[in-house]
Order: sequence, then C-alpha cells, then structure tokens
Amino acid sequence: MTVGEHTSAALEHVGGPTAPAEPEPDISAVLDGPFTTRQLLRLDDALRVADQQTGLTFSVYLGELAEPARESAEQLHKQVEHAATAVLIAVSPNQRVLEIVTGPDARKRISDRDAKLAALSMAAAFAGGDLAGGVLAGLDQLASHAGRH
Amino acid sequence: MSTFLVFVCIPLGIIAVVATLVLSRGDKGRPSRRYRPGRPYDFQPIWFLASPEHVRAVQNGHAQPALEAAVVENSAGERVLPGSTGGASDRW
Repeated sequence: MTVGEHTSAALEHVGGPTAPAEPEPDISAVLDGPFTTRQLLRLDDALRVADQQTGLTFSVYLGELAEPARESAEQLHKQVEHAATAVLIAVSPNQRVLEIVTGPDARKRISDRDAKLAALSMAAAFAGGDLAGGVLAGLDQLASHAGRH
Repeated sequence: MSTFLVFVCIPLGIIAVVATLVLSRGDKGRPSRRYRPGRPYDFQPIWFLASPEHVRAVQNGHAQPALEAAVVENSAGERVLPGSTGGASDRW
C-alpha cells in the first residue's frame, strides 16, 4: 500500500482520524464523542484545508485540561510534531476553558491579538452550546489570519 | 348518538394518535450527545489533527507523548522548545 492510498483510505473513514495502524479504541472514542458524523467530516476537512493553505499544523484537543489549564495546553502543544509551527486549540467543556497555543514560528503569523479574536468568537459559540461550530469558526479565523504560505 | 360520536370519539381518537406519536419517540432515541453549557461533558478526550495517524485518545491528560517528533529534550528528559509560545485564553 502506498502512502497516498493509505492517506486517502484513512480520510474516507468517518471523522478522518482513523488510521489502520491505530487500535480500535481510537475510532470508538471519536465516534462516541460529542460530534455527529457530519460534524466530524467538516472538522476533518477544515483542519486539512487550514494546514494546506497556511503550512502550519493545526490541531484541536477536546477534553479535560489539568490545572493550570494554560500550562497543560502548552504541554500538549509541545507533543505535536514540528511544534514551532503548530497551532493547538484546546477546549475543555467541563472547565469551560479555551486555550489557543501557537508555536514560536506560528506566533509570527498569528499574533496574540488575532488568537484572542478567534478565542472570543469560539467562546461565544461554545456558550451557545455549539462545540463544532465554534471550533470550525476558530480554525477558519486562525487560518485566515495566518495567510497563505 | 351520532353527536356523541362526532364530538367525543373523534377528538379522543385524534388525541390518542398524537399522544402515541409523541410518547413513542420520547425515550427510545439515544440521549442527545450535544454539548450544553452547564451540563456535564463526559466524553473521552479527543485530539484532532489533519494527519489521521497522529491522533489518539489521551489518557490522564498528557501522560504519554501523543506524537512522535524530533523535539529537543532538556537534561530532565522533558521535551522543550526554543523560543516562547503565544496564543490566547478565554472562558465562557
């Protein structure tokens, strides 16, 4: 199986984040999550488009963040491949906390003010109970602020 | 007798049909997975990336490195990055 086949086959899966190398719990964790299949597909598409257009690595974490939330979000951010150009959106619905972490290189393209602007619109959507919509809006704003690479 | 049929039996019949439709849809469907502010959110942590092979559920926050990468390690073996990270925080 070539790399291309591997990628396209994985992306055809519901929600995208399902690779043959990964065990089953991953798939169930994603499918049992708060998102519908349609929302997962849109999220996957938005992430791919954002990555392709900007050359940065966007990722979305959805779950508990250990206190203090900022530090644990930065710890997560460090685990991303090429963390300098990575942008992490960490959302903890239980704590009602939202953290956007940009790597040193990504920070040059997405200023902290731009990130705060995206955070505000995301928080507004989350307060209305729209997790997927908020994440999509935030991704879109961050990617457009970063510009094309 | 026909008055009784028209004004009692037909309305009762309609009420019975509507009630059956409403109640039959009530509890059978799965509970809504939609997030609502203030309600508990009890799903496993998920991490989405564009490259699917790099996503996995994280147990206990960030106990294990989720993504393999050539990142600098400091003397304690922790992954560190040169430079500082930016971003923003918000609550709702």
